[in-house]
Amino acid sequence: MSNAYIDQFPAEAKVIRAAFYSSFFALALGGVFGIIQTLHRTGYYRFIDSADYYTVLTAHGVFLVISFTIFFLVGIFTWAITTSLDRGVEDLRFTWGWYGLMAVGITLTGVAILAGFTDATDISASVLFTFYAPLQAHPLFYLGLVLFVVGTWFAGVDWFRSWWAWKAENPDERIPLPAFMVLTTMLMWYIATLGVAAAILLFLLPWSLGLIESVNPLLTRTLFWFFGHPVVYFWLMPAYMMWYVLLPKISGGKLFSDPLARVVFVLFLILSVPTGIHHQYLDPGIAEGFKFIAMTNTMFLLLPSLLTAFTVVASMEHGARQRGGEGYLGWLKALPWRDPVFAGMALAGLMFAAAGFSGMINAGMNINYLVHNTFWVVGHFHLTVGTAVALTFMAVTYWFLPQVTGKQLWSRSVALGQVVLWFVGMTFMSNAMHRGGLLGIPRRTAEPQYDGFEFEAAVGSVAELDAQIALGGVLLTLSLVLFFANVVGTALNGRSDDLPDNSYAGTLSGPEDAPQILDNLKLWTAIAVVLVIFAYTFPLLSIIDRGGLFGPELVELPLSTLDLESISALALAVEQSTIATLETTADTATAVIAGVIP
Amino acid sequence: MNIHAYEKLWLVAAMLLIVGFIATITYGSVALGITMVGDQQDTVEPTELADDDRFDDPRVEQVGENEYEAYVVAQTFSFQPNPIEVPEDSDVTFYVTSRDVIHSFSLVGTNVNTMVIPGEVAEMTVEFDDPAEYGVVCNEYCGPGHHDMEGEVHVVSEDEFDLTELEADGPDEVETGDEISVDVTTENRQLEAIETTITLEIGDETLTEDVTIEGGETLETTFTVDSATLGEGDHDWTVTVDDHTDSGTVTVADDLEDDGGDDDE
Ligand code: HEM
Ligand SMILES: [Cu+2]
Ligand SMILES: [Cu+2]
Repeated sequence: MSNAYIDQFPAEAKVIRAAFYSSFFALALGGVFGIIQTLHRTGYYRFIDSADYYTVLTAHGVFLVISFTIFFLVGIFTWAITTSLDRGVEDLRFTWGWYGLMAVGITLTGVAILAGFTDATDISASVLFTFYAPLQAHPLFYLGLVLFVVGTWFAGVDWFRSWWAWKAENPDERIPLPAFMVLTTMLMWYIATLGVAAAILLFLLPWSLGLIESVNPLLTRTLFWFFGHPVVYFWLMPAYMMWYVLLPKISGGKLFSDPLARVVFVLFLILSVPTGIHHQYLDPGIAEGFKFIAMTNTMFLLLPSLLTAFTVVASMEHGARQRGGEGYLGWLKALPWRDPVFAGMALAGLMFAAAGFSGMINAGMNINYLVHNTFWVVGHFHLTVGTAVALTFMAVTYWFLPQVTGKQLWSRSVALGQVVLWFVGMTFMSNAMHRGGLLGIPRRTAEPQYDGFEFEAAVGSVAELDAQIALGGVLLTLSLVLFFANVVGTALNGRSDDLPDNSYAGTLSGPEDAPQILDNLKLWTAIAVVLVIFAYTFPLLSIIDRGGLFGPELVELPLSTLDLESISALALAVEQSTIATLETTADTATAVIAGVIP
Repeated sequence: MNIHAYEKLWLVAAMLLIVGFIATITYGSVALGITMVGDQQDTVEPTELADDDRFDDPRVEQVGENEYEAYVVAQTFSFQPNPIEVPEDSDVTFYVTSRDVIHSFSLVGTNVNTMVIPGEVAEMTVEFDDPAEYGVVCNEYCGPGHHDMEGEVHVVSEDEFDLTELEADGPDEVETGDEISVDVTTENRQLEAIETTITLEIGDETLTEDVTIEGGETLETTFTVDSATLGEGDHDWTVTVDDHTDSGTVTVADDLEDDGGDDDE
C-alpha cells in the first residue's frame, strides 16, 4: 500500500483531476490554434481566411493564459493546502461548486469566441484576450469571464476556510510554507481582479448589452491592465511554489531558506498590482509621472525574482551535494537530469532567466518604445508564461498525475523527450520572435507583409526568421503531442501500489528562522492596498476627468448585431448573475476580512 | 532572521542593480530631455473629427524654420494623410488620433511608436536628418483588416519638398467661339515665399505664368483660351505647378443652347 495523495485524500484527488483535465483540454485547443497561427503568419501554410486569424488568436490567448494556467493552478493549490495543513477541504460540495462555476464560465466564453468561425450565428468575440473597447464582444464572452473569475474567488475562500479551521486547532504554529504561498497569492489575486471586474461589470458588459451608449476606452484599458499585469504573477507564483517546494526534493535535497521564500511571496503580494501602467507607456492621456511611478515599482518587482533565482540554485546545489556532487560547477552533473520532473523545471528556470533580460528591456520606459507591440513582446512572454510557467506545469504533471490518479506514469522517457523538445522548440521560436520585433515586425498580425515597405534585417533575413519560427512551432506542437500521449497513457494504466509518497521539500533554514511578522497577512494586505491606492487613484481620476466616466461617442466594432429579444433575455440573465456576483463578492470580502483579521 | 552570507551579498547586488536601472532610465528621460507620449494634449470627440480644426483635414503644416506639425488620423484600416511628406533636417511633431477603435502609429524599425486611442491625441516630436522612406504600421489589433493597415513617411530633400496645394476649375461645356477660362488656386502653406511657374496644357496649346507666392498666401490665376482654336469635341486640360497637377475636360460644341434645351425636356 502506498501513501500517495489519492490514498490520503481520495475525494480531493478527484477535484484536482477534474481541474487538471480541464486545464489540459484548454492546452490542447490552444496548441492547435498556436500552430495554425504560426504557419499562417510566417506564410508557410494558410488555410484560413486572414480575417479569421484574429478569432484563432483570441482562442489561443484565452484558452492558454486563462483556462490552461488557472485550471492547473487551482489544482495544485488545492493539493498544497490539503497536503501542508494535512486536512481535507471543509466542504466538498463547495469545492465542486467553484470548479463548476469556472467550467461553466469558460465554456460560455469559449463558445462566444469559437462561434466567430461560423456565420450561422451573430455571436462572435474576436477581441483578443485584452478585449480593448471599442472592439466589442458578444455579452456571453464577458459574462463567461465574470463567472470564471468568481469561481476562482470561491476557490480562494475554500482555501482560507481550510486555513482558519486549521489555525483554530493549531493556534501557535507557523503557517506551513505551501499554504502561506497559496494564501498570499490569493490575496494578490483578490486585489488584482477588482480591476477587471470593474471594467466588465460597470462598463463592458452593460455596453455590449446596449444598456449604456458608450465607454471610455482609456479607462477600460487601464482597468484591464490593473489586472493584466498581476495576472502574470498569478501564473508565475504557482510555478515559483513548485520551484520552492518540489524542485529541491526532486533534486535530492532541501529548500535553502523558508524565510526568504516567505519574503518573496510577500513582495509579490505588495508589488504586483501597482505596476500595470507599465503596459501603457505609449498611451496618450496618461501623464509621464504616473508611468514613471509604475516603472519604479516594476523594477523593484525584479527583486523577488532575483531572490528566487538564488534560492532555487542554492537548493539544487544542496541536493546535488547530497547526491555526491562535488566541485565548483561539477555538482551540476550530479543532478537528476534524466528525471523529467527535474529536467523540465530546471529548463523552465533557465528560460526564465533569459526572459528576465528581455523583460528588463520592456520595463525601461524609453527603450520600450522600440519594442512595444512588436513580435519581440510575443517572444518574451512565450519564455515567461509559455515556458517558465507552462513547462513547469507540464513537468510537475509527471509527478502529480501518479499522485492524483494512483497510476504509474505511462513513460518517463517520453516525458523527458517532451520537456527537452519544448525547450528546443521554444529556443528557436522565441529567439526569432525577439529578433523580428527589433526589425519592427508587429505582433497580432495575420500577414506581416506590406505593400509599401519591407522589414530589413541586419543579420540574416526575414525569411530565415520565419523558418525558425515555423520550425520552433512544429517542435512545440510535437512536444504537446508527447505530453498528451503520456496523460492519456497514464489514465489508461491500472492502479499501482508502488507510488512515491505525497510530500514536499523540507528546509535547511526553517520557519523558526522567519520573523513572526512575515505571517501577518493583514499587514501585508493593508500595505498592498495602500500602494495600489497610491499608484492608481490619480491616474484613474485624471482619465475620468479627461474622457468622462462613460467616454465620448464611439464607433464600436463590430456594430451591435443583437436583436432586442435576445438583449432583454440576456439582460435578465446578467442582472441575476450580477446580483449573485455582488452577493458572493460581499461574502468573499467579509470572509477574507474576517480571515485576515486574526 | 537568519540569512546566509552569500544570500546577503546577492540581496545587496540585486538592490544595486535595480537602483542602477532606475537611475539610468531617469537620466535618460529627465536629463537628456527625451519626452514621452503623455497627457499634453486635450481630448477630442472621435465622431466629430470632421469639425475639428486640426483633424478635419489631416496634413503637414510648417510652424517654424525647420519645424513642422503633422496631423494624422488613424481609422480602420488606413492612415491619413498617406504618405506623410516632410523635409530633411526637420523637427516634426506628430499629433495622432483615431476616428474609431484603438490603433497604433509606428515607424518601422525606429522608436517612433505610439498607441492611438479614440478621444485622445498622441503627441510626439521626431528629428529627421537625411532623406529616407519609413514604413508605418498599425501594431494594435483593430479589426479583421488590421494587417492591411499601413502607411509611409517620406523624408524628402529640401528641393523636392513643398507644401503647395493646387486646385484648378474649368467649365464642362462651352459653345464654339466662346472663351474657356480655367481658374487656378495655388496655396503656399510653407512659411517662405516660392517662385514657380503655373502651366496650363489644353489641346496643343501651352500657357504659362511665372509667379511668386509669399509664405502662407494663396494666389488666384485665370487662364483663358479661345474655344474656336480648339475646335469642336472633348478637350482634356492639365494644370501643373512643380509636381502638382489638376486636370479636367471641356466639351466644345455648336448649338449648345439646343442641346441644353433637349436635356431639360
Ligand atoms: C504549440 C505551442 C505554441 C505556439 C506554436 C505558439 C505560437 C504563437 C504565436 C505565433 C503567437 C503570435 C501571434 C501574433 O501575435 O500574431 C502567439 C501568441 C500568444 N501565445 Fe502562443 N504559442 C504556443 C504556446 C503558448 C503557450 C503555452 C502560451 C501560454 C501559456 C501561449 C500564450 C500566448 C499568448 C498570450 C499570445 C498572445 C495573444 C495575443 O496577442 O492576443 N502560447 N503564440
Ligand atoms: Cu506587466
Ligand atoms: Cu490595426
